[in-house]
Amino acid sequence: MIAFVLALFGVCLLQSAVVPRLAIGGVQPDLFLVLTFGLSLSAGAELATAAGFLIGLYQDSLSGAPLGLNAFTLSLIGFLVNRVSRQVKTAEPAGRFALLFVAGLVSGLTTLLVLRFFQVPRPLAFALLRTVLPGAIYTAVLGAALLAMPKLKAIRGLGR
Amino acid sequence: MTRLLLRYRRTLILSSTLLLSFVLMTLQVRSQSALADLTKQILLTSISPFLRVAAVSKAATVALWNEYIDLRRVRRDNQFLKEEVRQLRAQVGELRETALENYRLSHLLEIRNRVGTEALAAKVIGKDATNWFRTILIDKGANEGIQRHMAVVTPEGLVGRVVDVTALAARVQLITDPESAVGVLIQRSRVAGVAAGSHGGIVQIKYLPLMADVIVGDRVITSGMGGIFPKGIPLGRVLRSSRPTNGALFQETEVQPLAEFSRLEEVVVLKRPPAGDLP
Repeated sequence: MIAFVLALFGVCLLQSAVVPRLAIGGVQPDLFLVLTFGLSLSAGAELATAAGFLIGLYQDSLSGAPLGLNAFTLSLIGFLVNRVSRQVKTAEPAGRFALLFVAGLVSGLTTLLVLRFFQVPRPLAFALLRTVLPGAIYTAVLGAALLAMPKLKAIRGLGR
Repeated sequence: MTRLLLRYRRTLILSSTLLLSFVLMTLQVRSQSALADLTKQILLTSISPFLRVAAVSKAATVALWNEYIDLRRVRRDNQFLKEEVRQLRAQVGELRETALENYRLSHLLEIRNRVGTEALAAKVIGKDATNWFRTILIDKGANEGIQRHMAVVTPEGLVGRVVDVTALAARVQLITDPESAVGVLIQRSRVAGVAAGSHGGIVQIKYLPLMADVIVGDRVITSGMGGIFPKGIPLGRVLRSSRPTNGALFQETEVQPLAEFSRLEEVVVLKRPPAGDLP
């Protein structure tokens, strides 16, 4: 639990202080998604879902998004990744990358749909091509690299 | 019931979180709920101390990094500036040299105007190679119209006369040369004499009558006698004057030349042709 809180606060700090400097063309990787993904690979579905919810809440509090938007998305991601990871070889970097990429796409699409539901208009094609897709790729690349680092493998073990 | 909850706990938790999220969003988007705002504030409050520490750490890191970068930049700039200073010093030296030369040449031109004759500036390119004579070599010769016996001056005063001429250079006998003789006047008292050089490099005035009015500091100018040197060119100041008691007919007078022979760099050759036929 303490490890999770530390990881969550660490990601909060990194996402708000460091990651914006890594933005390429206005697109930055999503470390909250990476943390949720890492937890989901090792924790049970319930814990991954709850953790996703809490992580999402913190992400909402650090952004201009309506509270609950990312909580909704990351809860879903936590659950789905946990379920899918049983069928995908996530021990392989390529498998992790692919799954993280898909998770990024799903997260982006979900966010886009929820925003549209709440009448927060975003041009669909533009958002898909300029935000969702590049964001998913960037997050997958960075996330896969981070999760491959020996010390950060602990993230995947937070749920154990 | 408990068994049912346990069986569908995953779906239940997922549904709960999704529903809670949806409610929170709805509350905030539709009705600007205080509950959503409060929740957000609590979350932010819990993370803000860490963010503040991170911001301070980041600022410190950035400052440290910038100082490091600045240090590297300063080091590079320092090398660049050193090189620039070296070049500028060289340029300043050249400019100072040019300015001094310009100053000297402008004074030389003043002499030309004062004397009222055509003059030619020349550079000193050599000095006498022996201790027996006091001559200099200038870079103008017959090609520029230089002739023997032409007077040579500096802004300060008389230098000497041309004694040898080649096509591209000329040799000038200084007034300090033992063979030199220049008709002079004591400017104040108008007493005439002949300024002659000596082996010691001192200019002596010969043939000044014993009772002539000469005092230390008197200004000595050319008299125009002899036809080589125009009248009125300053030559020097009386340094020492004495009346011998051994029956001599003339005073012993030493003159300090106004021209600095040890630092001669440019001179002006007065192109006034010598009067009469001189050897």
